[in-house]
Amino acid sequence: MSEKLALLHPEMVLFAATCVVMVLGLARSAVWRSACAWLTGGALAAAFVLALRSPVTDGLFPHFLAYTKAMIAGVALLILPVMSGTVDRWYERRVAKGAAFDALRVTRGEFYAFFLLSVTGVMLCATADDLIWLFLALELTSLPTYIMVAISTPRVRAQEAGVKYFFLGALAAATFLYGFAMLFGATGSTSLDAITIQFRGEGLSTIATLGLVMALVGVSFKIAAAPMHFYTADVYQGAASPVSAFLAFMPKAAGLIVLIQLLATVGWSWGEAGDALPDAIRVALWVIATLTMTIGNTLALLQSSAKRLLAYSSIAHSGYMLVGLIAGPGGTVARNGLAAAMFYLLCYGVMNLGAFAVLASLEVRGRDGEPAEADAIDDLRGLFRVRPGLAWAMTLCALSLLGLPPLLGFWGKLVLFTSAIGAGEIGLVVVMGLNSAVAAFYYLRLVRASMLDERDPDAERPIVTEALGRRLAAGLSAAGVVGVVVFASTLQSASHAAATPNPRYDEFLKVEAPARQSPPAATPTARHN
Amino acid sequence: MTTDHASYLPVLLIVLMAIAFAVGNIVLSRLLGPRREGAVKATTYESGMDPIGGARKRFNVRFYVLAMIFLVFDVEIIFLYPWAVSFAHVDPRSPDGALFLGRVLFFLFTTVVAYIYAWRKGVFRFE
Amino acid sequence: MSDPTTMLLAASAGAPDSSVAWLLQVPLLPLLACLLCGLFRAWGVTSKLPGYTTVLLLAVAFVVTLSGYLSFGGHGAQVVHGFDWLRVSWGDGPGETLSAGFSLYIDSLTWLWMLFVTGLATLIALYSTEYMAEDQKTGGYARYFSFFSLFVFMMSCLVMSDNLLLLYLGWEGVGLCSYLLIGYHYTKPSAVAAAKKAFIVNRVGDLGLALGLMLTFVHFGTLEYREIFARLAEIQAVVEAGGSAPWQVELIPLLLMVGAFGKSAQLPLYVWLPDAMEGPTPVSALIHAATMVTAGVYLVARFLPMFALSPAALGTVAWVGAGTALLAATIGMAQYDIKRVMAYSTVSQLGYMFLGLGVLTATGAAYHVFTHAFFKATLFLACGAVMHGFAGQLDLRRLSGLAKVPGWRVTAVAMLVGCLCLAGFVGTSGFFSKDMILAEAFVTPGPGYRLLGWIGLATAGLTAYYAFRVYFRVFHGPVEFHAGEEHHGDDGHDDHGHGFHPHAPGWAINLVLIALVIGSLAAAAPYFIDKEHHGWVGGLVHSSTAGEIVRASAGHGEAAAHAGEAAAAEHGGFFGDPHRWMFLASSVVGAIGILLAWVIHMTGRVSADRAPIADALKARLRPWSTLAEKKWLVDELYDALIRRPLRLLAHILALIDQALVDGLVDGVGFAPRLFGKSLRPSQNGLLQNYAVGMGGGLVFILLVVWALS
Repeated sequence: MSEKLALLHPEMVLFAATCVVMVLGLARSAVWRSACAWLTGGALAAAFVLALRSPVTDGLFPHFLAYTKAMIAGVALLILPVMSGTVDRWYERRVAKGAAFDALRVTRGEFYAFFLLSVTGVMLCATADDLIWLFLALELTSLPTYIMVAISTPRVRAQEAGVKYFFLGALAAATFLYGFAMLFGATGSTSLDAITIQFRGEGLSTIATLGLVMALVGVSFKIAAAPMHFYTADVYQGAASPVSAFLAFMPKAAGLIVLIQLLATVGWSWGEAGDALPDAIRVALWVIATLTMTIGNTLALLQSSAKRLLAYSSIAHSGYMLVGLIAGPGGTVARNGLAAAMFYLLCYGVMNLGAFAVLASLEVRGRDGEPAEADAIDDLRGLFRVRPGLAWAMTLCALSLLGLPPLLGFWGKLVLFTSAIGAGEIGLVVVMGLNSAVAAFYYLRLVRASMLDERDPDAERPIVTEALGRRLAAGLSAAGVVGVVVFASTLQSASHAAATPNPRYDEFLKVEAPARQSPPAATPTARHN
Repeated sequence: MTTDHASYLPVLLIVLMAIAFAVGNIVLSRLLGPRREGAVKATTYESGMDPIGGARKRFNVRFYVLAMIFLVFDVEIIFLYPWAVSFAHVDPRSPDGALFLGRVLFFLFTTVVAYIYAWRKGVFRFE
Repeated sequence: MSDPTTMLLAASAGAPDSSVAWLLQVPLLPLLACLLCGLFRAWGVTSKLPGYTTVLLLAVAFVVTLSGYLSFGGHGAQVVHGFDWLRVSWGDGPGETLSAGFSLYIDSLTWLWMLFVTGLATLIALYSTEYMAEDQKTGGYARYFSFFSLFVFMMSCLVMSDNLLLLYLGWEGVGLCSYLLIGYHYTKPSAVAAAKKAFIVNRVGDLGLALGLMLTFVHFGTLEYREIFARLAEIQAVVEAGGSAPWQVELIPLLLMVGAFGKSAQLPLYVWLPDAMEGPTPVSALIHAATMVTAGVYLVARFLPMFALSPAALGTVAWVGAGTALLAATIGMAQYDIKRVMAYSTVSQLGYMFLGLGVLTATGAAYHVFTHAFFKATLFLACGAVMHGFAGQLDLRRLSGLAKVPGWRVTAVAMLVGCLCLAGFVGTSGFFSKDMILAEAFVTPGPGYRLLGWIGLATAGLTAYYAFRVYFRVFHGPVEFHAGEEHHGDDGHDDHGHGFHPHAPGWAINLVLIALVIGSLAAAAPYFIDKEHHGWVGGLVHSSTAGEIVRASAGHGEAAAHAGEAAAAEHGGFFGDPHRWMFLASSVVGAIGILLAWVIHMTGRVSADRAPIADALKARLRPWSTLAEKKWLVDELYDALIRRPLRLLAHILALIDQALVDGLVDGVGFAPRLFGKSLRPSQNGLLQNYAVGMGGGLVFILLVVWALS
């Protein structure tokens, strides 16, 4: 048990910080209140360091935790500065002018606490070795985000988005919980190791397949994949840009991790060559991936709102990552689709954040005269004249999202391609290639608007927010898109190590897992024959 | 694989019975029940006072908040019961016991944090 | 020294050693300086902080290099692994993984280059702190030092890399820095044009290097030196046993050579270097004279084992080198811009180095690189001091007798020493290094190498003439000077003393000049240190990959007949056969050149722009003198043969692009938009519709799964 606690050190730090931040946000002194963000950052940094020192496990992926959790903490650290000035901006200004402080009116503490809780949830998904744990971790990831969306900006649209997100999220949760229940029914255990033993020994029963497919479809809500993608555009547009940036990474990371955990139970040892997923699962993922890429990219083509565009692009990128999951863990860096997906997730986190951070840095004067968030692509027009730095950041991030060499996105996509080719999924490679080409059209619109287009003389210029952190995050992401390229191979090796199956896993299963398995007699299984 | 399906037969039967029971009751009451119409029958409360004013009255939000806080603490206390019953069977000095105790202490800790939060938030204040 | 093959194998077997990881500081310190200066630029620092930061960090890099050399100098090749920079694989087999680490390959050749790169960079950065001071207010100062440090970083990548890809990064990187620094005065059209020219001409060479790199990977399946050299040793063993090298091994050197010719300004790609003098003078000194342009020499020297297997490449290198040396010297004789003369002399001296490599005396080439780095930096910085002091005046017809002007003594001495070294005057460093190359040209067997020796000797005479032409015109004769175009005071047509006061160099410039003068003179000393290998540099080269292969290859193929002679030449020492009379011959030729310059430019000189004999000679030698002044019309030739046809082709292609390709692209973009439009109604914003869509999607997927399995 204590060794299991050792796996949870980063989560512990984050949870402790959550408890403090939640109360700290209600402090009477504005200085203490503003310490929330710094404390959050400190906790994330500590979690990052602890994550790197995660112990090696005996499970299927012994080095999974270090890379995954460090990536989560790292990207969260990058997202954090974008969050500055998101909540309580107007209220804090009034308080500074002498208005009486009312604890009921501030949401800063809750906001950062939910931020941390959600990140904790993602990390717990990585540590989970049990279906129930997995479910709870997924919900811990999502529940805070529903509220973060609703309180992110004092506009009706955000609340509408929050409610939509909540209901649809509940529907998705019901779907995968139902799938989990069927898995439990089919195998008689909630332990992932026990389920693995069951699958390896006796193959997949129909119920198990049904349960697994339902779980996969349900979890695809978290990564915004078809057919659970409908909420994405509305929610990303409704929420404030910083929260959208958060939504585009954290739940996606959780979903991807859970998908890997679930798929690992059946393993990539089926098919004719013994290196693919079982046919049913493979077909399901194939359909999901193809639909996701195509729907995301084609709908993104039509958008006039930059935030909706990025939302659909987020859908499309989930499709790309699914390709890696279909390819499975090959022996080398080039063949390892899981590593490719995990590495791509990191790349996507950085470059997507940059694009959202640029949007978050800009404001336009709304109809009511109050500054409103920049949303339309047209709001970016002429940005180069006003803020060349931001325009460059947007350009670099958009080009990287498009996968232009030598930027970060290219290296991410490259391993996805090589792994899919290595696994013989030529059809998927073609679909992915075509989609990447289509994607060029809309990413280049972002580039054109910010770099080349002139603003209409009578239109108002975008104002830059006073939140320095947002610009900082945009700059850091843009620098990352260019600079991290130098370390791309190192990171790829790390992700490869994280997603390399344990050669001694079978021995571990024989010794360890039966002991953990709950008594199977109570549930109906295929044991009779 | 066929036996696999067969083992779910009881579940299917229960589902069918549940549907049959619900549908049957509605159908039966419609078929058998008497039907009378009248002015008194149409009142809100057939055997009480006429309501005064609309039902859509606004309550202070604090009532809801307080109700929710109560609910939360109430449910948490309910969780303590099974724990307390199980704890009687565990040796408190063994490592297992420490862990058992640790778990509930952690649970109580989160409750205390929630309590402090609610207090600081001003949930218990009525002005 | 042990047997070459075993040494190479030992080098290839040597695992990356982590105890020498501190050597990574050598490239990383300049990078740090670059980033800091970039930050200073962003913060609008207007003090000399960026300059001093750069000097300090570069000095530390030099100290690290020096201590590294003192600790590991004799240890043979070592690999310091930094991190995996690039690792792309598309399969599991050999040759299916392209891997290039940020790793350093350190042997004595690396030490030689890094010692003078970091040392000179430090000195020239110090010089620049004063030279660039006028730009402090505009922010150009920090920009300058940022690019300057970036250059040093890129140069260290180039020289210290353990694989061809990192070398290529450095190669392109120094090209970029060169471009940025030539175009430093980006408001000046000529500077912008020169920067573009340098960049574009270098692209041609880089294409050759890139092709060579790709062919290397295709053939050897790796880009790492250790493995390439190990494979080369095997091939060489085959060749020595009477077999033949694969055609790729004969072709790769030719391709690499094209790259080297671009970067090191050899025929026919030399045209960018003279124009590159538009950059600030310290840049010319460091990048376009001492370090970057020797990258081509480094490349050939590093891959000399491969060149030795390709007689065609070796012959080409030697001939192109000698041809460039001669051509550039003739142009240099007729130029009036002193910086331009120095530029052509650089091209000419680089030609010598290639000649040296072509005749397989890597020692001579490397030693000439080493001495040239010092005396050419001296010459450029002296020119820079003049330019700085006389408001941009560089025309030798408008400057005269500067040695007699107070405050210019150090500059004059520096110029004299630089010219003596360049002219190969007896006992100076240039004397020894140049003779080593020339002597070897006479004794090494090869296609017409003896003729090359004579060309080299003649060029030495021309070199002595044009070097002292500059020196006598500018520093001797009647005192007279006119301000350059950067002077904004009274008109500069008056004689000195009326309205224009040159400002003499300050402490930083003088200090650096003195240091470089000492360096130029002391560069002769290494010749006497390690006599067994023709000096300290020879020792370094011999213990590197280049030296070993040279010795081993002396016995194969057509060279076999002369092997005894060559070996005798190598081991004859100071008073060996060819070197002894070469010392004599070149002393005489050099002295004649200097004497001629004295007679032609000092006799009856009345003013700065009047030297009767020179003017008369020029008139007599028409049209040759005019043609030489106009650089043999090479630029015009390139314009007519290359630029104009290319422009025409570009116009035709543009028409095709607009008519055909654009239409095609628009057509392709249409289908996805249509598809997207058909999906649009699904996103109508209604919660219940979304829920139905999710449920329907789940059912759809279950049906598909059910149907297909």
